[in-house]
Amino acid sequence: MTEYIGRPIVELRNIRKTFPTGDGEFVALDDISLTIEEGEMVAIMGPSGSGKSTLMTIIGLLDNPTSGEYILDGMDVSRLSRHEQAHIRNRKLGFVFQNFNLLPRLTAQKNVELPLVYGRVSARERAERARAALEAVGLGHKRDSLPNTLSGGQKQRVAIARALVHDPAIILADEPTGALDTRTGAEILALFRQLNRDQGRTIIIVTHDPEIGRHMDRVIGLRDGRLVDNILSEYYGVEVLEEVERSHGLEPVPVPVVRRPTEEAA
Amino acid sequence: MLTELIGMAFDSLRANKFRSLLTMLGVIIGAGTLVAVLSLGNALQGQVFEQFVDLGTRRIAVTPGDPRAKGARDVPGYGLLSLQDYQVLNTLVSNHPDIFRAIAPEITVNTRVRAGAVSLQTLLVGTSADYPQVQRTPMLHGRFLTPADEAEGARVGVLGWLVARDLFGADKAALRDVIGQTVEINGQPIEIVGIINENGGPFSTDSRIFTPVSTMRLRLIGDLDLPGRGLRMSSILLGLQSEKQVDEAVALIERTLRAARNVPDGAINDFNLQTPTQALNVLAGISTAITGFIAVVAGISLVVGGIGIMNIMLVAVTERTREIGVRKALGASDGDVLGQFVMEAVALSLVGSLIGVIGAIGIVWLISTFSGINTGISWIGIILALTFASAIGVGFGYYPARRAALLPPIEALRYE
Repeated sequence: MTEYIGRPIVELRNIRKTFPTGDGEFVALDDISLTIEEGEMVAIMGPSGSGKSTLMTIIGLLDNPTSGEYILDGMDVSRLSRHEQAHIRNRKLGFVFQNFNLLPRLTAQKNVELPLVYGRVSARERAERARAALEAVGLGHKRDSLPNTLSGGQKQRVAIARALVHDPAIILADEPTGALDTRTGAEILALFRQLNRDQGRTIIIVTHDPEIGRHMDRVIGLRDGRLVDNILSEYYGVEVLEEVERSHGLEPVPVPVVRRPTEEAA
Repeated sequence: MLTELIGMAFDSLRANKFRSLLTMLGVIIGAGTLVAVLSLGNALQGQVFEQFVDLGTRRIAVTPGDPRAKGARDVPGYGLLSLQDYQVLNTLVSNHPDIFRAIAPEITVNTRVRAGAVSLQTLLVGTSADYPQVQRTPMLHGRFLTPADEAEGARVGVLGWLVARDLFGADKAALRDVIGQTVEINGQPIEIVGIINENGGPFSTDSRIFTPVSTMRLRLIGDLDLPGRGLRMSSILLGLQSEKQVDEAVALIERTLRAARNVPDGAINDFNLQTPTQALNVLAGISTAITGFIAVVAGISLVVGGIGIMNIMLVAVTERTREIGVRKALGASDGDVLGQFVMEAVALSLVGSLIGVIGAIGIVWLISTFSGINTGISWIGIILALTFASAIGVGFGYYPARRAALLPPIEALRYE
């Protein structure tokens, strides 16, 4: 169990993603390398167009990188066929979307069962696990409700139950509070934190909301397809203090002489 | 997984009930027509056959050869049948009781019959008392000819239904009084001893008058003999024990007649054999052709229904692009999505064809109740309709389903 802490679950190495456009290639992700460890709760943040959604589709195996390596839960998943991708999505990944994406004709229970249907789990076990997942998000009493009878927060809870019912390696949430009011959003965030703390779930949240970023263990910043440090500071308008390299010993820092215009006149 | 796919398909049909129904309409009509036509076709064929079955299917008629046929020989009286042929065949019949049941001659003459002030032109048929064994003679009143009539050359006659009606009126009960009355044929009085009821089919008795051969020859028509060969015959009817022996009987008759009539090897028969299989085959062929034609039309309607299904499935794939994206994100493979949409198309066509089949059963039941035609339901029609409909569901559902399956998951998820 000593290995439990610090085991990398998502490892990206030199990931590059380009899209062909009318005039040459558009580089969406440029040489991204990062590691997310098991049990971490991190945010991927960046302004729109920064490549954070593209990064999420690659981590979520909804798309292949143009080049680079992706190790998910110890398995190289960089170059999988569509069928293998679907299989890994079903086993290792849980998705939560901004607009919930519940299937409108299915009850909460049936929505939560969906990943298990595609995992070929028997009907009885599906029902059992979906019920447990709904209870874990506090919606045990809404099992038979259709999505359109649920509030936004309840819908997102159902979606979260659906994302964890098959016990995935990571939960990927794309702007999970974007369609919710502040209070409900905070509740959902608290639920994520609770799942992270109590069940040790690895949670990756893609967002542009710095308030969410502040509550994360770590923030991965993106700008123009590249990783940047301290992205949060940009949102809050705080200058970041440059760290001075001290390895070569202290050197005198030249102090600029400030001349005053009055002196000059005199 | 299959259970889940079927469940999804029916959920989706229920969600759009009216649209599903409209989509199915083509298949409903196609499948219904197919089953109804095949069922009614069967019944009509059965009705036609019923008239031939029994005597009709167990009879071979020997008729004169065609002197204009290719290969016919230039011999006086070529092809005509006479008493000689009858006697030869009579011997054949008594030698093979396992194959032949009876033999009866037909000597047919067009003549005028008069009853009181009414007179009409009709067919006078000289035959024997065995005639009822080779042709249906359902008696309305009285009796058919007897061996005694033959032996005596009695002045008796049996009227066909149409002759009796035209001479004495259509009231069947009143015709009872006609028995014992006298009609005049060729100026000779003939006592009516029987009237045959309506009787369709080939060699129908309806517009004929039957009298013993001896009476006809001695009292009514006079000399009908062929030079040196005896009484000329219009046809000779042979009854068989079973319709399965037709081929065997034909071979025997051909061999016997060719020998008796000195037909050289290689020459064509100078007589004709009318076998029931010919007539049955022709009739079956005609009714099969008609049934087949309508079935093809029904099939076309099924195909058109299939195109309707394809159309609506293409709409459904576009409408549900997001759903497809979500399902894929949750781990549905291309195959799962393909299966879901194909199953939906199959469900549409299968439910449609089931409705059509049930409708057809209702229609056939109504027709058989009110028209009196005894119709069974064509199981082949039902199986055909259901399998064809499923095939159409798969065939026309595959393309839209493939489009759904190949949607890239990100694009599907982002679709608004």
